[in-house]
Amino acid sequence: MKKLLTKLYILAFMALVVYFGVIIWNLTFAHIIHEYHERNAANTEHTEESLAQKKKDDKSFEQVILKSEKRTKHYLGYRVLEQQYIKGHFHHIGYDVGPDRHSYCSSCHGDMPHDSVTKDLRAFLNMHAFFIGCQTCHARPEGEMATGVYQWYSRETGEIIPSPVNDAPPGTYKAKIIPFIMENGSLVRIDTQAKIDFVEQYRLNEKELTEGQKSKSKSIIHNVVSKKPVICEECHSSENPLLPLADLGYPKRRVDSITSTEVVGMIKNYTKFYMPKMLNPGVSHPVDPVEPLLPVEPAPSVPEDENLPPVDRAEG
Amino acid sequence: MLLNLFPGPRWSFRALLVALCLLPGWLSAADMGNCLLCHKYPGLSRIDQSGNMKLMFVNEEIFNKSVHSKVKCEGCHADITKIPHEPAKPVDCLAVCHIIEPTSEQKFSHKSVKTFMDESVHSKVDKEGKLKKYNEDMPTCKDCHDNPLFRPLAFVKKVRPGIADDAMGRCRVCHEKEDFIFRFYNHITTRLHKSRSPLNVAEACGKCHDDKEMVKRHGLTIMAGSSYQETFHGKAANLLDESIPDCLDCHVVKGKSVHQMYGNDDPRSSTHPNNRGAICNSVDCHPNASVQFANYQVHPVFDKEKSPFVYWFTSFFYVLTGGTLLPLMAILFLDLLRRLFPNASFKRRK
Repeated sequence: MKKLLTKLYILAFMALVVYFGVIIWNLTFAHIIHEYHERNAANTEHTEESLAQKKKDDKSFEQVILKSEKRTKHYLGYRVLEQQYIKGHFHHIGYDVGPDRHSYCSSCHGDMPHDSVTKDLRAFLNMHAFFIGCQTCHARPEGEMATGVYQWYSRETGEIIPSPVNDAPPGTYKAKIIPFIMENGSLVRIDTQAKIDFVEQYRLNEKELTEGQKSKSKSIIHNVVSKKPVICEECHSSENPLLPLADLGYPKRRVDSITSTEVVGMIKNYTKFYMPKMLNPGVSHPVDPVEPLLPVEPAPSVPEDENLPPVDRAEG
Repeated sequence: MLLNLFPGPRWSFRALLVALCLLPGWLSAADMGNCLLCHKYPGLSRIDQSGNMKLMFVNEEIFNKSVHSKVKCEGCHADITKIPHEPAKPVDCLAVCHIIEPTSEQKFSHKSVKTFMDESVHSKVDKEGKLKKYNEDMPTCKDCHDNPLFRPLAFVKKVRPGIADDAMGRCRVCHEKEDFIFRFYNHITTRLHKSRSPLNVAEACGKCHDDKEMVKRHGLTIMAGSSYQETFHGKAANLLDESIPDCLDCHVVKGKSVHQMYGNDDPRSSTHPNNRGAICNSVDCHPNASVQFANYQVHPVFDKEKSPFVYWFTSFFYVLTGGTLLPLMAILFLDLLRRLFPNASFKRRK
């Protein structure tokens, strides 16, 4: 036993020696080699114009996605404010939501999926998607499947958790609302493990699938999606809101706010509500408008101008 | 001016007024239009066609500790007059806003910054008024500035914005309004020192001055931010030393605005060869230093061609350190290997 411990001790020491060796290499000779390569590259490569061109053309995944996600720290003396860095963003964020690692919808559509809808709504819908599961609005369980039961699940683990609302600032919950349905006589959440596994398998095998298999898979994955999604007034209404806000842990003050005249009044100013284009392949313009339940005033017409600088366009 | 939230029925407008009355004092001051009704949600965002993230969230708690906390939303986002509003236009930082500048009693504006900037090395135009080559690289307001946060004095206080209760008590002798006392105290104490830590200043400059392509396009010889980090000053800044000089301490003429920065060859520049000596031997830094002291290589780069002296000197120490410690590590490793296998041998046993 003593011999074994001695051997393990020696092995650990050897690993430590190698570790320090790597550090020393990186702090010394690696610098010299790096400088040599950098200097050679600079001498052979670039003119001013080629550099300017290179910058414009560099749209690689690494450049656009991996390197674009930076973080920044503000040293305020009494506090270090760390947050995501968004180029040209003026207001401080000071809050991290983190991606939804459980939703099988988000695995393809992302955490900010509402870009095909009207300009007035897209940011609002993305805002709701931060704490409302996709199926809550895009699925309408009918008949025996409908239960009216909703619960919160953790964005990180996917597990059902107690209501995170309490006194948390609105929309800052690291959880989402998911509907429950009746399936084979038992109450289950709508995003069953079988559905998650199906999507995972589809994504793993997507390259090998034939066109027919792909279409069939997509059809099965989206068969839960209703053509008429839940619209704003169905929840933002003091009379029988779709979501049982009190059961979801919203205190009365918050329920009153969600169904208040400010929110409901604002929603009345929206006119149209569109299904995402991806559910209507081949159709280039939004279709199947769902008229709001209440009569409304027309929304202002807005000229599309996507050429404005990033983040300056702080619209809602 | 109240936003025309509900162009329709009057009852909803009245409801809004009631809601505004219920808001806390300092919040209602900036958020008269109840913009936070929507913009308090962190998820209020989208991805535009260029793939850039647009985040419309305003963190109320942090905003209230910023120098703009008294400016109404529509003071900057002047084009938004109703809800639902159209895609907002870029904010014009030079616009006249609703704050009254107390010394002149005029409406406040950052207009003077443009005058400074137009003459500075960061101007988009040259002396003849023509657009410079690669003028799109030149910084605009938000390339350097985000919403400045209060950084009051008293760095020993680690949990709140440096509020000295004793000082606040002295304010209360004459002033009654807590909101005024809080903001005025923060405004003054924040301005008594750097509005950002030296490390944050170096990082802000480094956004452009450490961009390899941009540095080459503009014919600059060094990566200013990263080379600063290599110096004694930069290393102290990395340790969050607040008293260490950052980029602005050397590159801005004392008493002038940071927006009045000139090229090294401009006689007005603090870093012009004729003026350099005054930087280091200022009374705050190295008061007895000779003029020559400022002529050392401030931005050392480990590059054989650009800084041969620094290159060979540093290389010598790299080789000395690596050449000593790496063989030592190798010997240690072999020694441990022998202890692990005491009887191992390459020779065949007879």
